Amino acid sequence: MFGLPAVWAVFLCALITALATGLGAIPFAFIKSLSPRAAAHANAIAAGLMLGASLGLLSEGVRHGPAPTFLGAAAGVGFILITQRLLGDHEIAFASLTGADARRMLLIVIVMTVHSFAEGIAVGVSFGGGASLAIAITVALAIHNIPEGLAISAVMRPRGVSILACALWSVFSSLPQPLMAVPAFLLVDRVRAALPYGLGFAAGAMVYMVLIELLPEAYDAAERRSIAVLAGLTTVAMLLFQQAL
Amino acid sequence: MEAGTLLLWSVVAALATGLGAALGVHPWIATRGIGWSSAAAAGLMLGAGYVLLTAGEAMAPTATLVGAALGLVLMRAADGVPRSDHESHPAMPGGRVSTPPATNVGAVLASALHSAAEGVAIGAAGAVGVAVAEFLLLTFALHNVSEGAVLGARLTGSGRRASSAAGIAVIARCSQPLFAIASLLLARAMPPLLPWLIGASFGALLYLIIAELLPQSYQQAGRTGIAVVVSLAAGMVALMGVAP
Repeated sequence: MFGLPAVWAVFLCALITALATGLGAIPFAFIKSLSPRAAAHANAIAAGLMLGASLGLLSEGVRHGPAPTFLGAAAGVGFILITQRLLGDHEIAFASLTGADARRMLLIVIVMTVHSFAEGIAVGVSFGGGASLAIAITVALAIHNIPEGLAISAVMRPRGVSILACALWSVFSSLPQPLMAVPAFLLVDRVRAALPYGLGFAAGAMVYMVLIELLPEAYDAAERRSIAVLAGLTTVAMLLFQQAL
Repeated sequence: MEAGTLLLWSVVAALATGLGAALGVHPWIATRGIGWSSAAAAGLMLGAGYVLLTAGEAMAPTATLVGAALGLVLMRAADGVPRSDHESHPAMPGGRVSTPPATNVGAVLASALHSAAEGVAIGAAGAVGVAVAEFLLLTFALHNVSEGAVLGARLTGSGRRASSAAGIAVIARCSQPLFAIASLLLARAMPPLLPWLIGASFGALLYLIIAELLPQSYQQAGRTGIAVVVSLAAGMVALMGVAP
């Protein structure tokens, strides 16, 4: 593909998907400051995007095997639970933030980064199915990554993180894609069996993050019905978006 | 699922409302009991919603998702009517409470309207498959217990006896089995409507989870335990219900 050796083509495609995540920070260039209520609504939107993405990942995982997907999801919940407990005992500084905000940001970036491992594997595996499948998956994941960058920025930006930092952390969260795509491509048969575990893990971790952080924080500063409408419609929009791809 | 079976079990689920209303006078049931049962119901509902969504998308993805948006908006519109939800409880999340229902009659009517939407979800699930319908019936039985506890606490608080409150609570939820059987028969008679019904059900379930069950659970039982219960319950239903 592109006249490149296959391994470099895989790396390039996965890098493009990672860079697309940074585009999610752009809308926040036009938003100067957010009230607590607006921040709660941004959290609701982020929750909806993550929930929609998780349902998409689950669907993909279940196609490869329901039981491995469920085990992966349970492991994802456990991973975040343990990470949260470990982070809970330490003062953290992250992206110019400290304390609870830093802990929350770090968790979100960790979750998104873990999520990216599975997507990197998906890109790599898709190359095993031929060039057209690889291009379709690359385009789909690149577009799919934009709302993920938006989800990260929607949580970081209200806490004073700069646009550039939002974009960079968004791209950072997707860096496992090019890093994982190449070995996945090389080990495509073995990775194919592991794929539902990875997809389930990412989905479980994301759903748990929505439940433990984003929604409770949103309820604290805005009325529950507006939170439900925003998060619910965003979930549906994300599902429609994935369907359109 | 057979129409007769669905009707029978949805009536049993509606009767669970009376149990909740009777138990709602107990302080633990009225607080932490409601919190944990709402969390379990939220997880089961999320899992069942996922299974419904998967089935609908396999039939007609756009109709299912547009239906989901419509279902969500309709649930929000119905929630604008004062009703006997947790807002009548003294302790609610975040201090951002809405106006409690003005009268007991209004609360009962609103509860009936609300459970009609839940009945549509049960009917759609019945048309999709036995496993998902069974999970949804179990979910709504649990949900009805907590709804009954909240409504019962309100009615007994205004001077009614527990048995009377339980009867009124069950009557308020009777629209659930009625709409369940009606939507199942409609889906069987007009199959092209099924994706729309499924989508609307998913949207309604999503709204219920985010607007009602989760805030109620967090307030009564804390974040971490609730998040674990909801995630695992949803995962188990999704696992067992993916092959309806």
